[in-house]
Amino acid sequence: MKTLVGLFLVLAVLVIVPAVEYAFAAGAEPGEYLDRRVVIWNLFFRMMTIAFVVGAVVSGTIIWQVWRFRESHPKAKPTPYEGTDW
Amino acid sequence: MAHSNWPEWIYVGVVIALMCWVGAEAWEAERLVEHVPEGAEIIKVTGQQWFWTFEHEDGTKEIGELHVEKGKAYKFEIHSKDVNHSFNIHDYVVLMDAIPGRVNTVWFAPDAVGEHDIQCREYCGLIHYNMRGTLIVEEPHS
Amino acid sequence: MVLELQKPRPIWQIMFSTHHTDVGLLYLIMSLGFLFLGGALALAIRAELFLPGAQIIGDAMTFNRIFTVHGTTLIFLFIIPFASAVGNYFVPIMVRYKDMAYPKLNAIAFWMIPPSGALIWLGFADFTWYATPPYSIISAPGPAADMWIFGLKILGISSVLGSINFVVTILKCKHPDMSIGQVPLLAWSFLSSSLIILVAIPTFAAALLMLLTDRLGVTGFFNPAMGGDPIAYAHLFWFTFHPEVYVLVIPAIGMMYEIIPRFSRKPIHSYGSGIFAFVLLSIVGFSSWAHHMYATGMSFTEKTVFMVGTLAAVPASALHVFNFVATMWNGRIRFSTPMMWAVGGIALFFSAGAGGVANAAMPLDFTTHDTYWVVGHFHLFVMGTIAFGSIGYLYYMYPYVTGRMYNEAMGKVHFVMSFIGTVLVFFTQHVLGLYGMPRRIFDYPPIPEWIAMNQIASIGAMIIGVSMVIFLVNMVYSSGKGKPANPEDPFGVGGKYYYPFEAKNPSH
Repeated sequence: MKTLVGLFLVLAVLVIVPAVEYAFAAGAEPGEYLDRRVVIWNLFFRMMTIAFVVGAVVSGTIIWQVWRFRESHPKAKPTPYEGTDW
Repeated sequence: MAHSNWPEWIYVGVVIALMCWVGAEAWEAERLVEHVPEGAEIIKVTGQQWFWTFEHEDGTKEIGELHVEKGKAYKFEIHSKDVNHSFNIHDYVVLMDAIPGRVNTVWFAPDAVGEHDIQCREYCGLIHYNMRGTLIVEEPHS
Repeated sequence: MVLELQKPRPIWQIMFSTHHTDVGLLYLIMSLGFLFLGGALALAIRAELFLPGAQIIGDAMTFNRIFTVHGTTLIFLFIIPFASAVGNYFVPIMVRYKDMAYPKLNAIAFWMIPPSGALIWLGFADFTWYATPPYSIISAPGPAADMWIFGLKILGISSVLGSINFVVTILKCKHPDMSIGQVPLLAWSFLSSSLIILVAIPTFAAALLMLLTDRLGVTGFFNPAMGGDPIAYAHLFWFTFHPEVYVLVIPAIGMMYEIIPRFSRKPIHSYGSGIFAFVLLSIVGFSSWAHHMYATGMSFTEKTVFMVGTLAAVPASALHVFNFVATMWNGRIRFSTPMMWAVGGIALFFSAGAGGVANAAMPLDFTTHDTYWVVGHFHLFVMGTIAFGSIGYLYYMYPYVTGRMYNEAMGKVHFVMSFIGTVLVFFTQHVLGLYGMPRRIFDYPPIPEWIAMNQIASIGAMIIGVSMVIFLVNMVYSSGKGKPANPEDPFGVGGKYYYPFEAKNPSH
């Protein structure tokens, strides 16, 4: 267990440190012309991609369970709590 | 809690990881966007009920229309004379509030000749809906 | 209190009563009245924006007044009093006490709302529900603006009194056999939202007073001409009203915690994580207020701090979604009307939350701030989550309040139409915002995309409007002519309801 934690710690350091360095290094050159439209809309579309993927998973799950666990579903069976005073 | 909760822990872990990702990406993009290029030309923007005034570095003033040159970087210094406004060129993703008593800055570099709408995005009263202007991007003069 | 209609009493007996169910009934009827009034204003706004140019509202000033009163009414005179109605009915029963801790204070808190509603409606102010200075100080016409300020002042006091009552009832009057860890989640939601109110509201109360004296010209707290700073108001306002968003949403989530296990025929998946999420949200909710102000010229550091504070609130909300999904899992779900509203509310809660995360990301503010994106986003919360939870709960408590069942078919039609309408209006508004349409505008240039999307949104609003008429007919008709309900188990799903039909009202 301890070796596993250690392994993850090493991996995290290996991944995070270069990422942070890269983040601080980029774009600091003087006189560089960045197109703010590109930066901002790229960020927007990347986030929307993730949001729609997560949204599809969440709403897919909800739609599926609404269909599967409805009381009129052929395989619906009483929950263990029915008939008790839970 | 009699039942095992590992799916909930994984779920919370995923949510936290996603939020870290969003935060890191947003932080990085914001840092890039806020980095004003050296030598950006300063344009003084003044909002008042209900029109925009622009003053170039060479002293030329314009009302409702803003002429800029393609390929140059500009830094807007945004003022307000009366109430809060918000200076917005949506096509170039430029937005900054005009707050009386403060000078806010935002920069952009137009990369194509054309006309774009300038509008006010912060509620400022009666004619807020028509506090509009035009950005005209021209070929470089020399 | 059951059954005013079966055992009629003179109306003044209810009005001057301090019994919790009577006060709850007053809250309920008044909040629904304001729901319809505020909704009518929303329809007027959508009709006006159907096409560019003036449609049904003659001038910009009237339009500005309408959206201001629309927002103020639905937030302060519908959502909050509706939650108080539910709390009044159910919290004393859930903690097994005979009434609220301070019954007279409870009645006073209610009776402060009608005068403030009158001030807001008779004044019809035009400075948006946010009352931004310096516009609200130097430009907004009186006496409307002053009446709005006084109205909100009274509402703030009423909220604080109501919250004190809930906190004391839950913490001090719960049955001695019952530990705080056994109090149902709906009561927990009232405990957390009341604590948020007690911490948050005084800030806005102070800001309102300063705004008033600024308007009178004797001070210059927010007036730059007198050395003040409008941004100071924005901080004070959002310090109250970002947490206030959680005040609105937490009781609605609590109501879903009552509905979803009931109709899934299973206890809630994790009671502990529900409490944890409520408490966490009410603490973390205070670290995010200035994400409303990214465009006011904040420094990079400030923006980063508030972005992190905002993102930190997300896991707490996500825990609720998990809890709901896990509760429905392996259940045997009966889709009666309340359950449909609750499940629809969860689905929209996710979309609203995802939009909120995008709003928190600071560079995206350049595209979305103060556009229709924001309008779509927060309406998805207040309509799609909070009103859905609240209306679902209204159907759920209907048999108890009237002793009769509502018409199930009409309830379902109401839900389906509202859901379609909500998706049409508010998802379209998100896209409209990306096309750059600013919010709070009376008229817009004839850009084809803007026109098309405004029309879709207006049609969606009309669908919601029609569904609300069906709702009203259903409520009124069924209260007199509906099938008598079985008070032990009106929905036929078993289990132990927190139906207060055993609460003894001395007037009966």
